Amino acid sequence: MHINEYKILLVDDEKTLREMVCGFLQRAGFHKVITAADCREARERFHKEAPHLVLLDVMLPDGDGFSLFEDLQKDSEVPVIFLSARDEDENRLRGLGLGADDYITKPFLPEELILRVKAVLKRVYRAKDMREEELVVLGACRVDMGSGVVYWHREADISIEETDTEVTLTAKEYAILQKLAQERGRIVTIDALCDAVWQEENYGYENTLIVHIRRLREKIEEDPSHPKYLLTVRGLGYRLI
Amino acid sequence: MSLKYNYKKTIRLFLYGVAVLVMIILLVGVLNLVFLFVGTFAYINMDTNYIYGGTVMEALTLTENGYVLSEEMEQEFAEQNQWAMLLDETGQVIWSIRKPEELKEIYTQSDIARMTRYYLNGYPVQLRVWEDRIMVVGLQKDAVWKYNLEFPIAWMEFIKRIWWYYFLINFTWIVVLAFFFTRRYTRKREQARIEWISGVSHDIRTPLSVVMGYADTLEHDEELSAETRQQAAMIRHQSVVMKELIADLNLTSQLEYSMQTPRREKVRPAEVIRNIAAEFLNDSLPEQLEIDAQIAPGAEGVCVKADRQLFMRIFRNLINNSLKHSGQEDIVKIQISMWQEKGKCRIRYADNGVGYSEEILRGLCSRKKDTSGNAIHGLQIVKKIILAHGGKIRFGNCEEGGSYCLMEIRRERG
Repeated sequence: MHINEYKILLVDDEKTLREMVCGFLQRAGFHKVITAADCREARERFHKEAPHLVLLDVMLPDGDGFSLFEDLQKDSEVPVIFLSARDEDENRLRGLGLGADDYITKPFLPEELILRVKAVLKRVYRAKDMREEELVVLGACRVDMGSGVVYWHREADISIEETDTEVTLTAKEYAILQKLAQERGRIVTIDALCDAVWQEENYGYENTLIVHIRRLREKIEEDPSHPKYLLTVRGLGYRLI
Repeated sequence: MSLKYNYKKTIRLFLYGVAVLVMIILLVGVLNLVFLFVGTFAYINMDTNYIYGGTVMEALTLTENGYVLSEEMEQEFAEQNQWAMLLDETGQVIWSIRKPEELKEIYTQSDIARMTRYYLNGYPVQLRVWEDRIMVVGLQKDAVWKYNLEFPIAWMEFIKRIWWYYFLINFTWIVVLAFFFTRRYTRKREQARIEWISGVSHDIRTPLSVVMGYADTLEHDEELSAETRQQAAMIRHQSVVMKELIADLNLTSQLEYSMQTPRREKVRPAEVIRNIAAEFLNDSLPEQLEIDAQIAPGAEGVCVKADRQLFMRIFRNLINNSLKHSGQEDIVKIQISMWQEKGKCRIRYADNGVGYSEEILRGLCSRKKDTSGNAIHGLQIVKKIILAHGGKIRFGNCEEGGSYCLMEIRRERG
């Protein structure tokens, strides 16, 4: 499904804000944006239009977003991003584990909103058009993120013939590279990498992470002891450039 | 803006509470006494007009035919439904009026001894000695309740001794009660204020979203002149500053009251430090900022009980402060080190900036609140967060230049 086919329901009682956010979404390519000013209208439109994502203000004139969210979740698994204007909601949003997909605290910048919307859609619907680069290119090395296969194309000596080689990444190496590629150019802390690889309580895996990083470098770097792409940021983590 | 806690007012409120309670208790006590004594006497005087031994004797004259009672008195006995009898020295009834038939005609010494204290066959009686005779004036059964009280002297002495403690206990009780009332009242007031501030910031945030959103749109509008776009960028930037201020104001109002204990969860400071360092490094140019995070060996797994968001806030505020007070061209170098010592987790944050000014240090080191006159100062928030978590904090300037902040918080076992 293409990006502009996703239907987004925006629920906020402030007309100006609604118009603004609508504008942002449309400029970002979301052409099917429907709006509602309160819970009643939101329920109505939700059942009629069946949107793919709901942007929901926490405080509405005829009730709060939390209970509306619970209502909506009863008969659908629609992803919801909360818009909140109170810091206090933050604790509730994190603490209660309502299962909301994300939340944004007002005021927010348009790009922040669009990024979150896309991230949620990507996660929930695995939208093809929005999936990250299928191919991670690191100089002469290409990693197909679909299959997890590393292709090497060395500028060959004329004396040797074809030097194309293939290596497959292990699940852990794949997870590390995927996380780094998602945040390419940015520092990813060792903690974030451990989270990506081991999910649950993962303290104490740092040394294992180093081992996996070394093996990954052997597969994707020309000279693993002097990496050019997967760099160490001392004391913090790693960065893929 | 000052959110100074009004101690004087609270103490005054508390003293008023004590005074009012003391007065209420005294008043109730006095009213009780008045009711008991005055009421009893008034009742006796109003409704009943009992005949007493003395009056009977006055109205009694000895004639040849024995004792004769005045007619008025006789009538009165009938009205009051009372009876009387006169005993001689041998206990023999020598005169009587309206005496119940069930009563004997002669009384032994033990009979008399018993009836002086209690009842005679259930009839309440009063005895009056008249020369060698005894006048017994009685009422009908169940007309009067009489009881003799008797206490050992030792016990009375003891009561006398503990009397002051008794008083003290009562007074303490009053003070405690007043304290709880005051606390409840001030809590309500504080809660109202926190809610008010939170409400105001909520109301500001929605319009600020619109300002920020459209300023950003204008900033990226290629059709506008560079100057206009620059101005839009400034609006956007300032609205981000306002956003931070509102968040700080809200947080300050909540941290102001130490009873507002933060949410506690297991937080690994090493992880938070790296997280925040990466966050800042990712959003700045390499020639602007350097962060050196040093976690001592063995401190990696150290956990503290803290509100994760607040804990992150500590480092965000410290780094923001370092960035704010540095020159445009200078590279800001930040060093964060963490180690454990005597069951405490210690974190030292230092930068290479100009150091804290005298005024700021005075404000941060003072035990009094808000002496800097700037309660929503980012560093004040850092201090409040650490204090709210039961930790210690110290700010200062390094000899070699720059400022430092030393924090200590109890580490979580296991």
